[in-house]
Amino acid sequence: MRLAKIRVLLWLGLAALGGCAAHGDARQALEQARSDYEQLAADDAVLASAPKDVVRAGESLARAERLSSYWGSGEDVAHYAYLSQRYGAIAREHSRQVAQQRQLERLQQERDGLEQALREAKLLSVQQQSSWLEEQMDSLATMPTERGLVMTLGDVLFDTGRAELKSSANRIVLKLYQFLTLNPQRVVRIEGYTDSRGPAAENVELSRARAQTVADVLIDLGIEAKRIEVQGYGEAFPLAANASAQGRAQNRRVEIVFSDDQGQLSPPRE
Amino acid sequence: MTLRLCAVLALSLLAGCASDPAPTAQLQLTEEALQQAHAVGADAEQEDLRVAEAGLAAAREAFAREEYREARMFAERAELDARLVEARILTAKSSAQIAELKSRIRQLRTELGGRP
Repeated sequence: MRLAKIRVLLWLGLAALGGCAAHGDARQALEQARSDYEQLAADDAVLASAPKDVVRAGESLARAERLSSYWGSGEDVAHYAYLSQRYGAIAREHSRQVAQQRQLERLQQERDGLEQALREAKLLSVQQQSSWLEEQMDSLATMPTERGLVMTLGDVLFDTGRAELKSSANRIVLKLYQFLTLNPQRVVRIEGYTDSRGPAAENVELSRARAQTVADVLIDLGIEAKRIEVQGYGEAFPLAANASAQGRAQNRRVEIVFSDDQGQLSPPRE
Repeated sequence: MTLRLCAVLALSLLAGCASDPAPTAQLQLTEEALQQAHAVGADAEQEDLRVAEAGLAAAREAFAREEYREARMFAERAELDARLVEARILTAKSSAQIAELKSRIRQLRTELGGRP
């Protein structure tokens, strides 16, 4: 009986030793989780932005602590210590996200402000450039008539009988394009005129084709087609007598009629 | 004495078995957490995602063997693994947004500085 008792005691002791060995890992995990949690709970920012996860980390840790006093619970202790640390890591991520969200809002405001400032600066410079261009156009070739502001492009644009633009015309058309871009509310009517040589019907056709060529270049460059009217008047409305070569040259022309800055265009000529 | 000890041990083992029902709800939670991680763009190459997925697979296997306690523990760990993956991805995303905004602001400042 005595021997049996000793044997049982020995067996129990061995079992307890085994338990302790398993307990060593669990105790380490528990200590790690405990120190993690202490740091977490001391972090006011994390506590404020992810309170639920912090609470869960604490609950899991408490469970691990409770279980650690039971015999043979090493696996459970390690399990709940792991869960506690995971909740802690998730809480930290959530806290980071909240802080980043705040920073994002601040930066978005800053960006919006800067974009606004840039828009205003650009607008200002466009206005300055636009009035400069208007002055240029006024001084160069436009004159106010009862038809509105009219710019006359002499026969520098086309060769006789042709509807294709000469290369030297590009500079003038580009200027026109620039003006229309900077004055988006203005529209134009492009009117073609010829001298009186050749059949009248063909002249109407040719003058229209020439005006259309100028319009096409502007549309190609990006001006909306609805801002451009095209009209061919043929040999009507001559500027000078067709008797002389000089007079005929004056009559071969394209005229650009500008609307006012409300987009109001004078009616076509009768 | 020995008999009594055996009886206590047997009882405690029985109690251990009885307290572990099939962790069906937990498995579902874990699956949802993994889906969520995928939904925010978790990459199959990611080490921590693979860990979470391996945990779910181990939980399913234990469940099939009716080792419910083991299944529950695997599933609980995998759920939090997956939630952490998701949270890390979201943090990385907003970090990237912040970097992008900062560079846009720098660019705007340069543009504005270049103007009279």
